[in-house]
Amino acid sequence: MEELRELAKKLLQEKQVNAVVGYECDRRGVRPAFVDDPAGCDRLVFDHRCVQNLPAYLSPRRTNVAGLGRLAVVVKQCDARAVAGLIRESQLKRENLVLIGVRCGGVAANPNESRELGAETLALRCYGCSGTETAMADYVVGEPKTVPAAGGDRDARLAEIEKMSPEERLALWKEWLSRCTRCHACRQVCPMCFCERCVAEKTQPNWIESSPHIQGNFSWNVTRALHLAGRCVDCGECERACPAQIPLGLLNRKLAKIMSARYGFAVTDDPSTPAPIGSYRLDDGQEFIL
Amino acid sequence: MMRRMLSRTDLDALVRDLLGAGTRVIAPVRRKVQGREFVEYAPVQNPEEIALDGSQPVRPLKQVVFPPTETLFNYKQDKGLVQIQEAPTTFSDTLVIGARPCDAAALEIVDRVMDWDYHDEFWFGHRQATTVVAVACTDSDESCFCTAVGLSPESTRGADWLLIPAGSSFEVRVVTPKGEALLESNKSRCPESDVPEAGKASSAVEEKVRANLAMNPAKLQEWLGAHFEHPLWQKIALRCHGCGACAFVCPTCHCFDIVDELEGVGRGARRRNWDACQPALFTLHGSGHNPRKDQSARFRQRVMHKFSIYPSRFGEILCTGCGRCIRVCAAGMDLIAILAEIGQNAEEAGSTL
Amino acid sequence: MNLYQPNLVRIDEIIEETADTRTLKLSFQDPEIAEGFDFKAGQFGEYSVFGAGECTFCIASSPTRKGYIEASFKSVGKVTQAMRRLNVGDTMGFRGPYGNHFPIDEMKGKNVVFIAGGIGLAPVRCVIWNTLDLRDQFKDLTIIYGARSVSDLVYKRELQEWGNRSDVKLYQCVDPGGETPDWTGDVCFVPALVEKAAPAPQDSYAVVCGPPIVISLTLPLLEKMGFAPERIYTTLENRMKCGLGKCGRCNVGPVYVCKDGPVFTSAQLKTLPPEY
Repeated sequence: MEELRELAKKLLQEKQVNAVVGYECDRRGVRPAFVDDPAGCDRLVFDHRCVQNLPAYLSPRRTNVAGLGRLAVVVKQCDARAVAGLIRESQLKRENLVLIGVRCGGVAANPNESRELGAETLALRCYGCSGTETAMADYVVGEPKTVPAAGGDRDARLAEIEKMSPEERLALWKEWLSRCTRCHACRQVCPMCFCERCVAEKTQPNWIESSPHIQGNFSWNVTRALHLAGRCVDCGECERACPAQIPLGLLNRKLAKIMSARYGFAVTDDPSTPAPIGSYRLDDGQEFIL
Repeated sequence: MMRRMLSRTDLDALVRDLLGAGTRVIAPVRRKVQGREFVEYAPVQNPEEIALDGSQPVRPLKQVVFPPTETLFNYKQDKGLVQIQEAPTTFSDTLVIGARPCDAAALEIVDRVMDWDYHDEFWFGHRQATTVVAVACTDSDESCFCTAVGLSPESTRGADWLLIPAGSSFEVRVVTPKGEALLESNKSRCPESDVPEAGKASSAVEEKVRANLAMNPAKLQEWLGAHFEHPLWQKIALRCHGCGACAFVCPTCHCFDIVDELEGVGRGARRRNWDACQPALFTLHGSGHNPRKDQSARFRQRVMHKFSIYPSRFGEILCTGCGRCIRVCAAGMDLIAILAEIGQNAEEAGSTL
Repeated sequence: MNLYQPNLVRIDEIIEETADTRTLKLSFQDPEIAEGFDFKAGQFGEYSVFGAGECTFCIASSPTRKGYIEASFKSVGKVTQAMRRLNVGDTMGFRGPYGNHFPIDEMKGKNVVFIAGGIGLAPVRCVIWNTLDLRDQFKDLTIIYGARSVSDLVYKRELQEWGNRSDVKLYQCVDPGGETPDWTGDVCFVPALVEKAAPAPQDSYAVVCGPPIVISLTLPLLEKMGFAPERIYTTLENRMKCGLGKCGRCNVGPVYVCKDGPVFTSAQLKTLPPEY
């Protein structure tokens, strides 16, 4: 922790950055912090409650964060995948940003977790993670840590659904998606949902009905999932943010598996890996072209 | 003093009667979706589903009287000629059992704006059809702050009955004429008894809630009125993602959008849908001009509307301290902490206001 | 019939104002509603195209002209584009009138200066015709109007008519570069034209409407010229949905533009945060 605070202080004092985006404790747990003076660096923390994917604040649509100036951002290895994604899609220039990589021993499912990190509290995305820092980082802080063993098979819930008949699956998703009220928390917390004007907000034509009835909700949630195919960084923030308790991560996870099987693409913190949507290979499957 | 008591068994019988008579019964029910357990208000088919153990439903009661999407009318169109089919504004009887006092109070608070010069037939149609049986809270968490906005875990506002848990039974407090009518048809189930007052459990809850936030609403309102521009807004709003989650789980947020949707060739519906002041689109003009230019302006609006605009206009704080906005926020926006900070500013400002 | 259900209106006439601006003349289909409909200058309504949605505009015609209402609009969004696709005889919806109005009665016996920029002439035109139709009840009437270019001037026929009348003074301008060889008006911005026209502030009211830049420059200018802030009127154009004070969209500070406005004085605007 001291190492992180000292580094942040130094970056601010030397005016290498105007603000550091990290984590701080609040009344209930941990929340994102924006520190713009060296004295404030003592607020910074990093532990297993640091769940939030901070690169979400780097998307260009965050005008007030952009207004802070040059930023240093605290990133776990998995968060760096979002930075890589934003660079890959020309939303961000690596040189305009200082990345503070943290050695992470896994995080809990929610930032207010009061229990120790273990099989029961470990976030799904940490299942099978090695906990290494990102190669993108300008600085790496913290002692090496080990991620606790997972409480089970991460894809057990997906496997269960895959076994269902299409009718059963439809019924299940109808039940879940009927809960959606279109608050768009899933989109707003997503680091890769950076569109200036989301397709859900377009009215000419009105691609997606804005009413939270079942067809509008299918239209929205399925479109979003497809738009994130090969782009989702698997941070699970959409599912965590959903006030309707919809297991949105399942959709993204399913598409990630398809992207891996069909295009050999796995989400990575290497920005030089081409985006599947933006690259073409001769051996790409083309059987869907009639 | 004699009190009317209702056992859980008799409550279940009451629910069974109403279900049998075709009344829609809404109550907190337990849900489990992919490993996540929570409680929410939902229609029940069977009284055993009703969870009255004090867990707060993740979403408020407002959707019963203000559905997330509601059809205002349907229309048919043929060669430029239009025929409108009116939408009903009377609704079938609904009984809510187990409303949280903060959710029940919200209904009465929002009544004010829904009746402001123009009477919103949809809102009041649902209100009229709905009987609300609230249950005093037996538990609270660190996000509750009803006491700071003039309510309590035992508040009867907006409820027709308030049930106060007493062992395996409830003390029945009848609040409104609608509540009287409900009692009339269930008198034998609610015998009078001289059991001692059941307020002990909830006073402990009240203490716990009080410890979360102390606030002087009048001072807060005064400070807000004088500090539209303040560095605090910029600072607080940095972490806000600008989604509508806080508004959509808020029992008092009532902003809506109106949209037309086609339902086939030459026919469609006009609907009103929940909307929120946090997304940029809310106030965006056709010209591209946006009067609320960034998230700090939008977040300020949310606080202003609840603690300054609505109170000055309707004499009510547009917040019942349910704490859902705090629990639900992915970015850790904490209204209790924010109100405490504003409150402190207001104190420090003192007479210089 | 509920609050949100519009009355049906028929498009009687379509007037092309500019390349992207039109005026629709509308009449109520139900004779009873047509008979009973009344409004005051400055009030607005929710106009709808079934299948596209609703849009908020002031009523651009004068309450002295009975039996119809007019709406002038620029095709920008989904609804206004849909309005552009409609023909004479087609059906639209109208809810209203809503909001407050210009103090016509108070203005009687006084001078009135009308200042507008671009399509901002629409709400002002309503007051112009209202005063012209009661001409003998007002003192001097002055119209100061400018647009980006000659082709952006709206109500061209009426501008000509006003220019020809001896009981009203008309000043017109277009922005530099927007003039045509036969343009006889001024070439400047609206505030400069106001300075040139130099309307007398004594015993006068001003009605100002236009894009934000025109408003923000003209209101202080009029005050500098001696107009009382309580007598300078404008209308705010915040985004609205319900028009009824319910949907929560049009707040400017404590004010609900749909209920407390859309007409405000310069004095009132000074007490509001700049969220319009």
